[in-house]
Amino acid sequence: MLGEFEYLMITAAAGLGDKAYGAAIREEIEQTTGRKCSIGALYTTIERLEQKGLLTTWMGEATAERGGRAKRMVRVTPKGVKAARDFYEVVIRVSRGASWVANRTGSAS
Amino acid sequence: MTSIGWSFVEVAARLLEGDEREAVLGDLLEAEETGLQGALDVFGLAIRRQLALWKDWRPWLASFGLALPGSLLLMGFSLSVSQTYQRLIHPAIFKATGLTVGPGFTLLLCNVFLLIGWSWTGGFVMGSISRRTVRVSAAISFLPCIFCLARFRVESLSRFCLLLFLLPAIWGVCSGLQIAQIKMRSALILAAVITLLTIPTWGSKGLWIPNWALSWPAWYLVVMAWRGHAMKERERWRTH
Repeated sequence: MLGEFEYLMITAAAGLGDKAYGAAIREEIEQTTGRKCSIGALYTTIERLEQKGLLTTWMGEATAERGGRAKRMVRVTPKGVKAARDFYEVVIRVSRGASWVANRTGSAS
Repeated sequence: MTSIGWSFVEVAARLLEGDEREAVLGDLLEAEETGLQGALDVFGLAIRRQLALWKDWRPWLASFGLALPGSLLLMGFSLSVSQTYQRLIHPAIFKATGLTVGPGFTLLLCNVFLLIGWSWTGGFVMGSISRRTVRVSAAISFLPCIFCLARFRVESLSRFCLLLFLLPAIWGVCSGLQIAQIKMRSALILAAVITLLTIPTWGSKGLWIPNWALSWPAWYLVVMAWRGHAMKERERWRTH
């Protein structure tokens, strides 16, 4: 099963689609979670997920705002999509009956 | 980011590999990180990368099974060779005739070849077994050198006699980094010659441990060459 940060990474990359690369994924995670995401954590997790076959990466084009340096582009593989879906379903299942979930749906008083 | 801050980041980024360095530096520029934060980020990634390499057994073998004991033993052997040289080739006669050969000259010659052989094969295995941690292995091998150089107290010899093994060892490391393994025949000849050269010491009971501690890299090269040869043969079988 995926770890929490791995799930965040795959979900952020999947949401960004063709525009998924290191800096964009990092920004997405920081904005969504409100937590700092270090470059070290980002790139070691990308490599680990790639080794597991959940992501593929390749060097993309260079842009002027990056000082002419190339991006490391990221794409989620079908195996990665399945792993993220499995993780999400586990979170949903395990959360049933939790007070904060019940309060949100308004079914508990 | 200021130019000084960026210089720090670029220096730190040298610890990363080509493509990753490119991507990380680009990301930092795009995110407009400060120089200090950028350098810390890059150092953090480099440390994580190094630590990840140490999950494998090879860096441990290269550093603590080879570099550390190897450099210690080879320093001792370098000293022994230097002392034998000093004893056999008398400086006064050397000046008059050019060269005087003492009775143990053949043994000295054997020991010189053995020192070169042990140093080269040890360096080669250290370089080839774990290329990405070779800097750490090299640093670990220098620790006993610094310790012994600081405490060297033989008046008739220069302290640099301890480091006779260094040049062939560096040559071996460079060769190991360039070519992962040598040919089967060369490996076998090298291992056999090294083992033959150790024969004079077989009589001494206490020497078999250092002998094998320094000889195993030569036989490791034979095993690796044999495995490479066997894999090639298997590939050839599959293609035909």
